[in-house]
Amino acid sequence: MAAVQETIDQVRQIDVDQYKYGFETVIEVDKAPKGLSEEIIRFISAKKDEPEWMLEWRLDAYRRWLTMEEPTWARVDYPKIDFNDLYYYAAPKNTPGPKSLDEVDPELLKVYEKLGIPLKEQEILAGVDKPRVAVDAVFDSVSVVTTFKKELAKAGVIFMSISEAVREHPDLVKKYLGSVVPTSDNYYATLNSAVFTDGSFVFVPKGVRCPMELSTYFRINEKNTGQFERTLIIAEEGAYVSYLEGCTAPQRDENQLHAAVVELVALDDAEIKYSTVQNWYPGDAQGKGGIYNFVTKRGDCRGHRSKISWTQVETGSAITWKYPSCILRGDDSRGEFYSIAVSNGHQQIDSGTKMIHLGKNTSSRIISKGIAAGVSQNTYRGQVSAHRKATNARNFTQCDSLLIGDRCGAHTVPYIEAKNSSAQFEHEATTSKISEDQLFYCLQRGIPEEAAIALIVNGFVKEVIQELPMEFAVEAQKLIGISLEGSVG
Amino acid sequence: MNMQAQNRQTAAETALLDSYNAQIGELPGNGAVISARDRLVDDLKTNGLPTRRVEAWHYTDLKTLLRSIPASGPASSVRNPAPLVDAAALIKTRQGEADGNVSVDGIVVGSYADMLREGTAAPGLSVIDKDDTIGKINGSFVRDGYVLEFPAGAEIGQPIEIQALHGAGQAHTRFPVSFGAGSKATVIERHIQTTDGQAFVSSVSDISLEDGAEVTWIVVQEQGADDTHLAQVRVRVGNNAKLRLFVINAGGKLVRQELRIDVAGEGADLQLRGVNLLGGDTHTDVTLVLGHNVPNTTSTEIFRNVVFDRARGVFQGMIKVALDAQKTDARMACNTLLMSDDAEFAAKPELEIFADDVQCGHGATVADIDDNHLYYLMARGIPHNKARAMLVNAFVAEIVEELEDEALVEALEAIISNWLEKHA
Repeated sequence: MAAVQETIDQVRQIDVDQYKYGFETVIEVDKAPKGLSEEIIRFISAKKDEPEWMLEWRLDAYRRWLTMEEPTWARVDYPKIDFNDLYYYAAPKNTPGPKSLDEVDPELLKVYEKLGIPLKEQEILAGVDKPRVAVDAVFDSVSVVTTFKKELAKAGVIFMSISEAVREHPDLVKKYLGSVVPTSDNYYATLNSAVFTDGSFVFVPKGVRCPMELSTYFRINEKNTGQFERTLIIAEEGAYVSYLEGCTAPQRDENQLHAAVVELVALDDAEIKYSTVQNWYPGDAQGKGGIYNFVTKRGDCRGHRSKISWTQVETGSAITWKYPSCILRGDDSRGEFYSIAVSNGHQQIDSGTKMIHLGKNTSSRIISKGIAAGVSQNTYRGQVSAHRKATNARNFTQCDSLLIGDRCGAHTVPYIEAKNSSAQFEHEATTSKISEDQLFYCLQRGIPEEAAIALIVNGFVKEVIQELPMEFAVEAQKLIGISLEGSVG
Repeated sequence: MNMQAQNRQTAAETALLDSYNAQIGELPGNGAVISARDRLVDDLKTNGLPTRRVEAWHYTDLKTLLRSIPASGPASSVRNPAPLVDAAALIKTRQGEADGNVSVDGIVVGSYADMLREGTAAPGLSVIDKDDTIGKINGSFVRDGYVLEFPAGAEIGQPIEIQALHGAGQAHTRFPVSFGAGSKATVIERHIQTTDGQAFVSSVSDISLEDGAEVTWIVVQEQGADDTHLAQVRVRVGNNAKLRLFVINAGGKLVRQELRIDVAGEGADLQLRGVNLLGGDTHTDVTLVLGHNVPNTTSTEIFRNVVFDRARGVFQGMIKVALDAQKTDARMACNTLLMSDDAEFAAKPELEIFADDVQCGHGATVADIDDNHLYYLMARGIPHNKARAMLVNAFVAEIVEELEDEALVEALEAIISNWLEKHA
């Protein structure tokens, strides 16, 4: 109940377009010139001290990208992006590999403090009741600091920025990078492959259960900087890891492009749990500004009995184009997708998942809750397919949409493809508005309308919230309340 | 690189355009109709047949699936199938042309060929949207059909059966039908092959229900094993009108059945039921685009599909609720039984909702027959094959029985059990 009360308070406090995390930090920035060319890619690669093969990989992707066309099938509408009018590299200037937190720019630490990121090791360690969380903080494009490295190393877990991994574990990176999302996969993934600046790398060796939740907080800070994160997580045989990704960004006038790629690989009996809370700047009340979020996330259940679970809470961004997927290659593997997508104002969300059943006895579960308010458009787009040889494939899909106000739209576009008779697929979808009865019940008990809606919505999405790690669940509930602010009346 | 592929004509595309040039001299139509036809053919020539890249045809890549077009030729058979129910009044087309003079008590029956010759058919030849390939093909080639008018207030007790009969060759028919305010009627639309050989068939039924009309419309498709059947049922449902639409697909090699329904009057209700029996090496696509465009309308849609052998089935069902169509209640279900390891089914039930005070839902399932049900019957001494047949029969018969009219239910059940006997 405490969390609910907090939600209500927060909803009261904040006006429609007063984005909670809308502040800008003035830090000196080391930037590449605007535009995209082979020179820029060479510049990025050189800045990051990359080996020759990595540069070639990038250039190969860039050449492919030049031949590709921007996809138009999603139900999103935005002015054409001028890819030559963006900066593809920006690094905080005063951080040439900090040795400790003391060396980190205090302005930067203040930003994290405002965001409530438990960056300082001692703070986390001091929290007796708090679960331990390791943070790989990404400030614009460069990993500033990585905490808990030593403790993780003791368990054999590698958790570092991907640029470090390219230098320190080239064999692992070479083996897995692009093996789930190939460079030619889609327009934005290919762009990412060419220009990705940083991201996280996680390797959990055979039989290891990662001793803590791993977490990255993303920040988009510098004006007009495309953020191209690249995350690669590998769980070897029997390993387990839970990874949290949380995002906030300062308020901006111009649209910002974000095209991340996340690749997960689970070998035999491994399990990866990937949770996201995304609340980037959604634009103002007139639909001006906001982040363009074109993300490719895919998990490969490569081994038998492996499991990958995606949980996402999408409340931010002007445009979201995101389909975290599972390739169920190993026999008896399992994929899960739990999603809450909240759109308000002029936001446009086109999100969903793909469950590709290839192995025998594979199963998947999709729970998607879409909430549309204001004049937003909220689309669930998902695919479930069973290959000819994927005997006994099972899927259960439930996608529910809630409409708040009569100017928004909710859409459901599932693709269900069964190519063998032992497949068993169930799909159900509903769309409705908030029940008058429930609302009346709350109002009658003196709960104001906006708070009542937040309460009802939190009930609507409970099934997904439950899948989030504890510390995220609380934040997510707050976010949903904030996102729906101004949706009544 | 895709551009090249788009412009390359397939053998069937070339045959289609050649066939048009061969027939143009004998197709009925005045100047307006001829220029409408030419526009449609030009469109087909420029854009080609749709591929899987066209979202509306994602699962039915007509460019690849349509391999050949048989030459257009005169009717070679005079077989006359009995009407589905004894009492029905028969209206027939043979090889795409009206067969005999027809009159039915209480309704006005006209010739569609006359409409083409007079030019009144020209506006109706326009396509619904750019992906309306069936509209394009039918509009280019249509020769004849019937225009039915049910006067306002008419209560026609006798079922009307439209039989579209054809042998090998081509048949392109169109049936504009209007049901006047408060009229009541039952119409059966049957597509039947009368001789062996490959047929290329297109058909458009253009139906409107004026205020308060109550109509049962039944489509029975029993094409031959080599036939291509491209059919469209366009419906506009007026204020407080009630339409019960029932569709059975039990034949054809390549079938695309489009149901384009505009629920356009307040208080209107649509009850749509479909049974798709798929076997052999066939491809059947049922595509529904249902628009709830005004407030206070209701609809339910239930489809039951059974897929045997190497057949491929497709169901695309889109429910669109317009911005001010508040209080819409629309529910759709699509259930499929896959009866063989080589059978395939793809379902794409879509919701596109712009109004908030609505109740909309869809469900889709794909599965094999439940082992428990099979076991239950076999434990009672029923052999495996028979038990399976019983369960399949029950699965589809359930929705046929909703029709209530006993003679009609019996006739449709007979079609289903005949088909199952041949294929199961």
